[in-house]
Amino acid sequence: MIIRRRFLIVFAAFALLVVAPCPAPANSGDEGRFIESMAEKAIDLLTDLDRPRDERMTIFRGILNDHFAVEAIGRWVLGRYWNRATPEEKAEYLALFEDLIVVTYVDRFSEYAGEHLEIVGSETIGEADLMVHSLLKRPGDGQQVRVDWRVRAAGQGASYRIYDVIVEGVSMAQTQRSEFGSVISREGRSVAGLLDVLRRKTSDLGKTTR
Amino acid sequence: MSRNGIAWLGIFAATGLVLGACATPPPSDDPEAVADHERINDPLEPANRAIFFFNRGFDTLLLRPLAGFYGGLIPPPIREGVHNALANLQAPVILFNDLLQGETDRAWTTASRFAVNTTAGLGGLRDPATGMGYPRHEEDFGQTLATWGADEGPYLMLPLLGPSNSRDAVGIAVDFLVDPFNWWAHSTGRRAVAYARGAMRAVDLRARNDAILADLERSSLDHYAALRSLYRQRRADEIRNGGLDGPPDGPGTGRLDGPAPDPDAKVSRITDSF
Repeated sequence: MIIRRRFLIVFAAFALLVVAPCPAPANSGDEGRFIESMAEKAIDLLTDLDRPRDERMTIFRGILNDHFAVEAIGRWVLGRYWNRATPEEKAEYLALFEDLIVVTYVDRFSEYAGEHLEIVGSETIGEADLMVHSLLKRPGDGQQVRVDWRVRAAGQGASYRIYDVIVEGVSMAQTQRSEFGSVISREGRSVAGLLDVLRRKTSDLGKTTR
Repeated sequence: MSRNGIAWLGIFAATGLVLGACATPPPSDDPEAVADHERINDPLEPANRAIFFFNRGFDTLLLRPLAGFYGGLIPPPIREGVHNALANLQAPVILFNDLLQGETDRAWTTASRFAVNTTAGLGGLRDPATGMGYPRHEEDFGQTLATWGADEGPYLMLPLLGPSNSRDAVGIAVDFLVDPFNWWAHSTGRRAVAYARGAMRAVDLRARNDAILADLERSSLDHYAALRSLYRQRRADEIRNGGLDGPPDGPGTGRLDGPAPDPDAKVSRITDSF
């Protein structure tokens, strides 16, 4: 019986080690694995052009909402105009913002077949953010694209959320913010004008068949 | 200066006069709008947009079809050779700027690349230097001025040459003037060769970036504004020398400070929204 008891204690200790929830994602590799698994999943599912585009869009939307802080990015992209928008405008804007990302990027992924995202490392920036550095590698000609992911732990230390993607030094959020700002000021400084343009763009891109 | 050069300068000046209208600054009682206006750094926006419109016409009518033929008809190995040769011809200018920036390691890399690729690489058609530990990098006088502390100056859309700013426009002129290839072409009366090289560079660049440019045009809400933001962020990244082609022990933190044009605190803004 002594043996069994000792076994139980060891087993309990082991289980505690494995199952015990980490207070914070202290492991520096976690955020890298988070990005890596997301990229694998996305490249796997979205480069399969046998799937109809509608189905790929649904898959992409799922991956987007599971991994990206879409609402926070959308608010930041709208910048100071967020506070000027009515509640209805805010709701429509966030829906259109998500649609725009889906219809824009779903086709880009079709070109990533066979590519592999290699995690290079990560570092802490600011108070809460981590920057995960990666290289998108093309198998044929050895060309690679530098992609950095700004991530933050998503409460409870459970997982992460992506706040920005920076390709060769170009931040997606930054580019969109500057573009949206330009549209708003050209449309008479109104969010309604931006919503018009967004509605047209998402519907045009949504119809493209590829 | 040649008669041709003076004629070009005249055209530039005339374009500047005709299109010299400045962007209307936002009403001064709206400080946030004024701050946005300053951050965008594009006081000549109406003129720039007009030149962009002209450039797009030129691209649609001439450059894109040419690049399309080039990309479609010429086999990839030949295009790769042309690209390598054009890059090799650029080496003296890159070396000049490496040295002015005090980047002795990178200068050594550039000089070695030029020596290896010009000889073993058959006049630059092939690039054996990369495999020997001398990878390619770019430098130009606009970046040199930036490392010396020069501000980018107002954003400019140059006729035919595309997105730029006053600092990088000066850089283009200086790089042109110090390029030994251009001295040679000028002194031996082979100006046509210099033009041909310029045209080849444009076609090569356009063909290589065709997919990205088409995608940008297709998906952007404001093509001009998207390109402007892209150009400024890319330049800021290039001036910081990116990261991974630098020291092998990993990227520095300098490039994580966020692009210069928009230094306001993104982190705290996003936090605020929670």
